[in-house]
Amino acid sequence: MDAIATHAERVAFHLTGRRGATVREAGTLRPALQARYRDVAALRHDYPVVLAASGDVAAVSLTSLVDAALARVATGGDGDRTRRQVLRVEHQIRVLVEHGAEGTLGELWGDAVQRLLPGRDASFADAARRARAAIAVDGPVVRCDPNLPHRLLEHAWQRAQTRKHAALRDRLVRLIQQLSDILRVDFEQSNAGRSAARLQASVGSGHQGLFDFDAMASLLATGAAHPPMADARRERIRRLLAVLDAQAFVALPDDGAARAAGSAVYDHRFESCTAALAAWNERQPRLVELARAIEVAELEIDGRYHAERHDALFAAYGASGLDAEVLSRFPDLLVCIDGTTLDADEQRKLMEILAGELPIKILYRVDDLLAAPEAKGTSPGLRCRQIAHMAMGLNQVYVLHAAASHLVACGARIDDAMRFAGPALFCVYTGASGATAGTSTYLAAAAAMESRAFPAFVYDPAGGADWASRFYLDGNPQAELDWPIHRFEYEDARHQRVSVDLAFTFADFAAADPRFAVELARLPAAADESDLVAVDEILLRGAGPLAERVPFVRMIDERDRLHAVVVDQRLLRKARGCREMWHSLQELGGVHNSHAERLLERERAAWEDAHAAAAAAAPVATAVVAAADSPETTTSPAPAAAEDTAPSRDDAYIETARCSTCNECTQINPKMFAYDANRQAYIADLKAGTYAQLVEAAESCQVSVIHPGKPLDPNEPGIAGLLERAEAFR
Amino acid sequence: MNTTSATECLLELCEEHLGLEDYQSGVPRWCTGCGDNAILAAVQRLCRDEGLRPEKTVFVSGIGCSSRFPHYMKTYGFHGIHGRALPVAEGVKMSRPDLDVFVNTGDGDCCSIGAAHWIHAIRYNMNLTVFLHDNQIYGLTKMQASPTSPIGTRSNTSPRGSVLEALNPLTVTLGVQNASFVAQAVDWVPELLYDIVKAAYRHRGLSFVRIVQRCPEWMPKLHDPWLHDPNRVQVLHHERGLQLSAALGRVYRNQLAHDPRDLDAARRIAGNDDAIPVGILYHDPEVPCYEDLKKSTLLRTPALIRAGVEAQFDKYTVWPKVAETAPAEHQAA
Repeated sequence: MDAIATHAERVAFHLTGRRGATVREAGTLRPALQARYRDVAALRHDYPVVLAASGDVAAVSLTSLVDAALARVATGGDGDRTRRQVLRVEHQIRVLVEHGAEGTLGELWGDAVQRLLPGRDASFADAARRARAAIAVDGPVVRCDPNLPHRLLEHAWQRAQTRKHAALRDRLVRLIQQLSDILRVDFEQSNAGRSAARLQASVGSGHQGLFDFDAMASLLATGAAHPPMADARRERIRRLLAVLDAQAFVALPDDGAARAAGSAVYDHRFESCTAALAAWNERQPRLVELARAIEVAELEIDGRYHAERHDALFAAYGASGLDAEVLSRFPDLLVCIDGTTLDADEQRKLMEILAGELPIKILYRVDDLLAAPEAKGTSPGLRCRQIAHMAMGLNQVYVLHAAASHLVACGARIDDAMRFAGPALFCVYTGASGATAGTSTYLAAAAAMESRAFPAFVYDPAGGADWASRFYLDGNPQAELDWPIHRFEYEDARHQRVSVDLAFTFADFAAADPRFAVELARLPAAADESDLVAVDEILLRGAGPLAERVPFVRMIDERDRLHAVVVDQRLLRKARGCREMWHSLQELGGVHNSHAERLLERERAAWEDAHAAAAAAAPVATAVVAAADSPETTTSPAPAAAEDTAPSRDDAYIETARCSTCNECTQINPKMFAYDANRQAYIADLKAGTYAQLVEAAESCQVSVIHPGKPLDPNEPGIAGLLERAEAFR
Repeated sequence: MNTTSATECLLELCEEHLGLEDYQSGVPRWCTGCGDNAILAAVQRLCRDEGLRPEKTVFVSGIGCSSRFPHYMKTYGFHGIHGRALPVAEGVKMSRPDLDVFVNTGDGDCCSIGAAHWIHAIRYNMNLTVFLHDNQIYGLTKMQASPTSPIGTRSNTSPRGSVLEALNPLTVTLGVQNASFVAQAVDWVPELLYDIVKAAYRHRGLSFVRIVQRCPEWMPKLHDPWLHDPNRVQVLHHERGLQLSAALGRVYRNQLAHDPRDLDAARRIAGNDDAIPVGILYHDPEVPCYEDLKKSTLLRTPALIRAGVEAQFDKYTVWPKVAETAPAEHQAA
């Protein structure tokens, strides 16, 4: 078949999906860029992870732990050998975990070493032991499987709850203790507390015969009587204690009996938003009651509770809900839902939780991003993205949208989300759908992120006041580009190495899914590729006239042979949609932000205009020299300093701010001189004393801040001498 | 975002506001013109402006004119024995860390008989605010030379003039380990005195403020050269220290930008004999406080106390009955 007919068949397939002789079914092909990732277990990557009970982040990758250990132990002459040996242990653990082994890092490490030990010398065991000792973290080891998001997020949530529980428990224990102390002291100071029977009970049984308790009680009764606590206050404290003891939000150390009686601590984990919301609404009154009891208890313990002021205040406490700061002290709820099977009612409850700013953390798990080509309705991945965008639009929801492969890198953000006082939404693609294509879940998830089909982004409402502070796109590879571009090398027909740059697009991601085989057509080996153009190129520059260029992707078969695969229009349209959604995320993240670029352009144009105008005016500029040196020019007015208006020299005044409160002037005449609110002197009533007293005060003033001015009465006796003395203070 | 909860806003509306006179107890019997009056006014202003609750505030003093201070504050107070203001204050702080504890001590009480306590109080760095009322003379006992009296001071115990160079409380304090806040004020510049007192209160740790004060009775002319020549007062300012108002800056033109974190510079400034440096010489907020290092996380429940008492009693048992009837193993230890 000649080249023109071949080209016509390709165009026909691209436009209509109809296959000709030269375009075959795609078969079981994988994206060419995944050629090196056939066996994930052989590669060092972020999985498996160790779920750490303590430390900075909830999950640490085995790779990073081993690297940190190697930095400490693989030193000196044996460093290389130690490194190889420890990496072998790491690889063995990874293989064990990929094949379903479970356990803590310590257990799996021991197991791996035992399997590798036969045939190896003593240095191997020593290197493994030293490396293990250098790893301070231990915990369950988890691979990247469909359950990973649930386990990891639940673990992170549990860590955050443990901290909250401890803080709340300590606070409740302290309040109960101190309130009980108040009642106990009141009782012990009462007549009943000082009765003979009570005194006898407080002394050990060994020596009761030595004391006359009746005499002691009568002695105590004659002492100074302590006024008993008001009944209202006693009753209030008892009610507070009842509420604090009966609360069901955290377990207290001594409440085994109470729990056995049936009032169990609340479970805070749910499998649906409906159940979580129902539980929240049901617990809300008790939560308000407990929060109110805590506030009142704090005031009671400090002695600052005044019934006349606070009763009315606390009667209406929590009527309009509790603020985020108060709610942050109580445990959060965790809900794990499957986005693939989300119905309308559950979605409504989800939005109700997010819009209500309730402290509920929601894992929205998506196992399959793409809908089959013939399916109607929104694909699960798109619905997930819509929900994430709606949540961000509410402004008070922490949103984390990431593929499972990226969760380890998001460790700090996950912890932030768990500490966030309001609702948090974790949208996670597990990569489970990759299994249908024979790909590991990790690879499928990573491919989704790489191809922008499920990009990573975070919206943190507590990050700052603007989008630049709240929205993050970090973690996405080459976020400034439409698609990440990687160098790809292959061997051509003449056994020469060829190196090209390939973009990993949405079309590459979808091409790995067998459901999209109908939208792909494989070209024969060694077919002419002159009319083919890469998908990223065609989306960027357009196809040109319809008949000229046909989009394609590079794929490999099970024997790693390279194939060119034509993409039909439906898949190209989906890739274009993915690209546009990525562009909108880029704008939000400040990458190629169109507003910023337009502003920059305007500013640049303005600057260039101003620069051009200045350049045009420069040759004819006349020197206009300011006549500052000219003697006849008056000096410009002094800059407005923060000068207080100086009082007249004839007025009596005190520089009050400099008064050192020495009592000299107030001792002379307490009616003429008085202290202000800061106990610094001022002239209160000039007519309350004589000019002589004013001058005497000025002379006595330690810091010379009294200025007598001119006398009110010029006929005062000895005025001449007084004026002379006062001159020093004018 | 920093938000205040609605509850806190409502509770703040019900807070009491105390005026300066609410902290005043009795009429001071210090001499007219005594610098202690200025210090009293500054401290009462601090209490008012910071909203210190009288029942949560303690002033501890030793012996001397300065140590009359607690009598004039309507708060809790402890007028202790000579030289022991600091250990008493430390004891108060350890048993009641929730209280605001101030110490008023003088140049004799602190730098003479109390010198040993002074050194270790600095090192312990407990959260106290210490005011050294330094009038450079023993005033209450009617004029004897103190460790800070200038060389040549004629007094009842040094009729021919004191022969030793005066001790410099600032260089001593800056030379002790763990010093965290050292400042100097003069009682005749009330604005700076108040700012320094406030900064000292807000520092978490032992704030040592030497207040050079006048004694109009026994040393009436001592500070005249500095009183009447503002250039002999060197005002230290910095973004981490004091900021001068425009008005003050016009009067006190001898200014020095000094970073309170610089210990070496602080020591050099402290040794300045010509001009009196006024301001914050040294401030390190990172030095840990002794009470934080020793804070127990155990709640003092009756069970805990009982267990401790029982453990102590178990060490020995004394039988009040006739000793020979007691089993041999129960003989007193």
